[in-house]
Amino acid sequence: MDTKLYTAIYVVLFVAATAQVLVEFAGLAYWTALAIIMVLSLGKAVLVAAYYQHLRYEPRSVTYVMVSGLLAALALTLAAAYSIT
Amino acid sequence: MTGDTTDDTDDPRPGGETSGSADGESTRGDGGTATVGDLPTTAPDEDHEHGLPPKSSIKRWLVTTNHKDVGILYIVTSLFFLIFGGVLAMLIRVQLLEPGGTILSDMAYNQAVTVHGLLMVFWFLSPFAFGFANYIVPLQLGADDLAFPRLNALSYWLYLVSGLLLAISFFQGNSFSGGWTMYAPLNVPVYTPSVGATTTVFALLLFTASVTVGSVNFLTTMHRMRAEGMTLRRMPLFTWSILLTVWMMLFAFAALLAALMILSADRVLGTMYFATESPGGSLLWTHLFWFFGHPEVYIVFFPALGAMAEIFQTFTGRRLVGRKWFIGAMLLVALQSFVVWMHHMFLTSINLQIKTLFMATTIGISLPFDLMVFALIYTMIKGRIRFSTPFLFAFGGLVLFILGGITGVFLGAVVLDYEFRGTYWVVAHFHYVMVGGVTGLVGGLYYWYPKITGKMYDEFLGKVHFGLYFVGFNLLYFPMFVAWETPRRVFDYPEAFVGWHQVATVGAFVLGVSFLVMFYNLYASLISGEDADACPWAYGSTAEWAVPSPPPLENFPGRPSYGGGALEFLDRGRTTTDGGETEAATDGGVKAGGHGHGHEEVSHASIWPFAIGIASLFVLVGLSGVRTGNVAYPATFVGGLILLLYTLVAMTRESFHGPSGPFGESWPFEGVENTKLGMWLFLGSDVVLFGAFIGSYVFTRVAYGWQAWHVVPHDPIPGLMNTYILLTSSFAVVLAMVAAQKGNRNGVVASLAVTLLLGIGFLGNKGIEWWELYHEGEWVATSIETSTFYLTTGLHAAHVIVGLIIAVYMLVRAWNGAYLDDDRPVEYFGLYWHFVDIVWLFLFPLFYIL
Repeated sequence: MDTKLYTAIYVVLFVAATAQVLVEFAGLAYWTALAIIMVLSLGKAVLVAAYYQHLRYEPRSVTYVMVSGLLAALALTLAAAYSIT
Repeated sequence: MTGDTTDDTDDPRPGGETSGSADGESTRGDGGTATVGDLPTTAPDEDHEHGLPPKSSIKRWLVTTNHKDVGILYIVTSLFFLIFGGVLAMLIRVQLLEPGGTILSDMAYNQAVTVHGLLMVFWFLSPFAFGFANYIVPLQLGADDLAFPRLNALSYWLYLVSGLLLAISFFQGNSFSGGWTMYAPLNVPVYTPSVGATTTVFALLLFTASVTVGSVNFLTTMHRMRAEGMTLRRMPLFTWSILLTVWMMLFAFAALLAALMILSADRVLGTMYFATESPGGSLLWTHLFWFFGHPEVYIVFFPALGAMAEIFQTFTGRRLVGRKWFIGAMLLVALQSFVVWMHHMFLTSINLQIKTLFMATTIGISLPFDLMVFALIYTMIKGRIRFSTPFLFAFGGLVLFILGGITGVFLGAVVLDYEFRGTYWVVAHFHYVMVGGVTGLVGGLYYWYPKITGKMYDEFLGKVHFGLYFVGFNLLYFPMFVAWETPRRVFDYPEAFVGWHQVATVGAFVLGVSFLVMFYNLYASLISGEDADACPWAYGSTAEWAVPSPPPLENFPGRPSYGGGALEFLDRGRTTTDGGETEAATDGGVKAGGHGHGHEEVSHASIWPFAIGIASLFVLVGLSGVRTGNVAYPATFVGGLILLLYTLVAMTRESFHGPSGPFGESWPFEGVENTKLGMWLFLGSDVVLFGAFIGSYVFTRVAYGWQAWHVVPHDPIPGLMNTYILLTSSFAVVLAMVAAQKGNRNGVVASLAVTLLLGIGFLGNKGIEWWELYHEGEWVATSIETSTFYLTTGLHAAHVIVGLIIAVYMLVRAWNGAYLDDDRPVEYFGLYWHFVDIVWLFLFPLFYIL
């Protein structure tokens, strides 16, 4: 595989991590900052999974397994947090 | 996947006609098949069965990795735990002869109730089913063994050791006494202070580890190692039920693992997730526990359902009516099982909207079960029933399950549950369901006994067993419905119910005696029973009945194939016909080269799974009492850790050949080699583990007030530094893989060394940060904020440490020139390392910025 592509992704990840902290210091409204920061995290995670872990080049079923785990965890988190009175 | 167009009218039952085709000898003395003879790999004193000592030798049972042996170990051990849990049940029933109790102290009763529940659900029911799964599933798939035979043996030894830990807990003050659901805050040391209670939690923790290893192994096997033509749609029903069970296990047990790790931290490290002061602490436990606990109901019941379906087919001589729909219904239940958990929590403080939602999903999950029940009933109507012992038990199981299911619908209604919760209605309901499942599995025990032992059980005694069992069961549990107002878990109840409880106690003893009849029958038949044919039943149709009883070590006389529509055994040497890759799986160990012939020698023995089990015992017993001040505990812990590391390295270095694969059917994971798929599946469960940790943090913070929360680190910069470090280390692993692909030894060594150094740097940076926080008075037990911070990032750090240990091992091997002709180990290590990186990408903002 292409080392250049890996390097480019590494640079993007590095920048995105820096951007998260800059967003925090930018003085945005709390929930706006939270949303941006979490989207940046998700984007980085997708990049690492798709290219460093080669999920893009595996059968899609492997991705589905990981997404199932993620959905289970999200279902637990969101429903539990919502259930609080 | 082949272009399989099997529709529902095709007979999927393979090869009943080919039964008994192999030689009648139970063991073959030539140490292998006739096609290979050029590699004398077995030691002279162990030439009996591929390096395995004979079955009469104790050593065989310590070193075996063969799926049939492991299956027998599982069945025998689980029956031991049945007796253990059954004796506790007898004590409970004797105590309940009179209101206020008879023979047990309060504490003894609480322990008996708790450990009875834990033993029966975890250490008996599931492992009993997995004994059959181990033995039967590879036969039904057409596989020589599981994908990772040593990990299979490891699952067994961890299971046995976890049960021993539970037994040990009784001798450390007292065992856990807060009920099998371990509700918070009763589960924290303030209320259950004994060392034995901690050991009980550890026992369950180790059991969970065993289950996780087992689910990864079974999923890899069942998806990747099916014989040519054995498509998922053609898979026998028992194997289908196990496939769905292990998928549920993979995700559900990860949530339990999270719950138990947090609980262990609360008990040993002093975190305060479940403490009374913690916001939503007791609610958090119920969420984590029941998110696992409801799938667990089906995890224990599905194998019984699968066994019942097979027995119904064999003893009615008819294919299951609506087979395709039956499988679809099971699939639906497996999915739905993850969205019904809050029906166990109608009397907690969750809001009414979510209760209503979960009442609806609960009603929804009963519908596929209706279909399955009717499919079984119609199969009986359409077929001609032979009332042999296995059928009687399977039929009895169905009747009991119907009763248990209907009474459960009452509990699923919010308003009725307000009344029934905490009463014997619940106790009666889940015993009808769970022990109804046991009934089906006992049917499975009689059904497969001739296959496993090669001997026929005594039919008359089998029927006596069923009579006593069924009468005893109903005498025991039905009165509980009548006396439902008896409060659960305590031994005081209104005088009006004395009669009913005394009837129940009599029933308990009848049920217990029925098992004595069974044990006698099985034992006597083993010694002097008639020899069983390959297929002792008139209509046995699945592949296990096409090989001798018991099957030879290598299972099949040739390579099984369903390519022609029915089961046939092809020449092992012909590897070109399957149209797929053929490779040697090395079970994560050292890959040995040079197997150019079609059927390579397969290993069946390793002492290391057993040794790892023993090491785990020392680790956990040592850890249970570290807070007592007795130095023997930490000494045992450290000694155990060293032994554990040694045994793990030894197993990794051992040369071991698992069975090769794939054999033609690997949908939907074609092209994902066994070890890689195993790694991905493990990571899938790890997603749920970390997800549950992060979910616990989010839940607790929401309960606390999201923005009122105090973020523990002062500023995000150290966290940002660690993000840079981990990202760079991930990049280094990628470079190591590229170097390995290019055959560049120095590149591999340098990249792995950089990974190692960065990992150490990550931990060092974290250490400095923790040190400073500690000196500012922000330590693990300071507040709920610090508890979640230290434990979640600590779990991540533990993953980093494990990764670094692997990196050291790989660095040494890379220095010696490994990985240049095969870069896969570097790639698979990378999958793990990148996953740890991804987790940090979420922990960093959640714990440092927001």
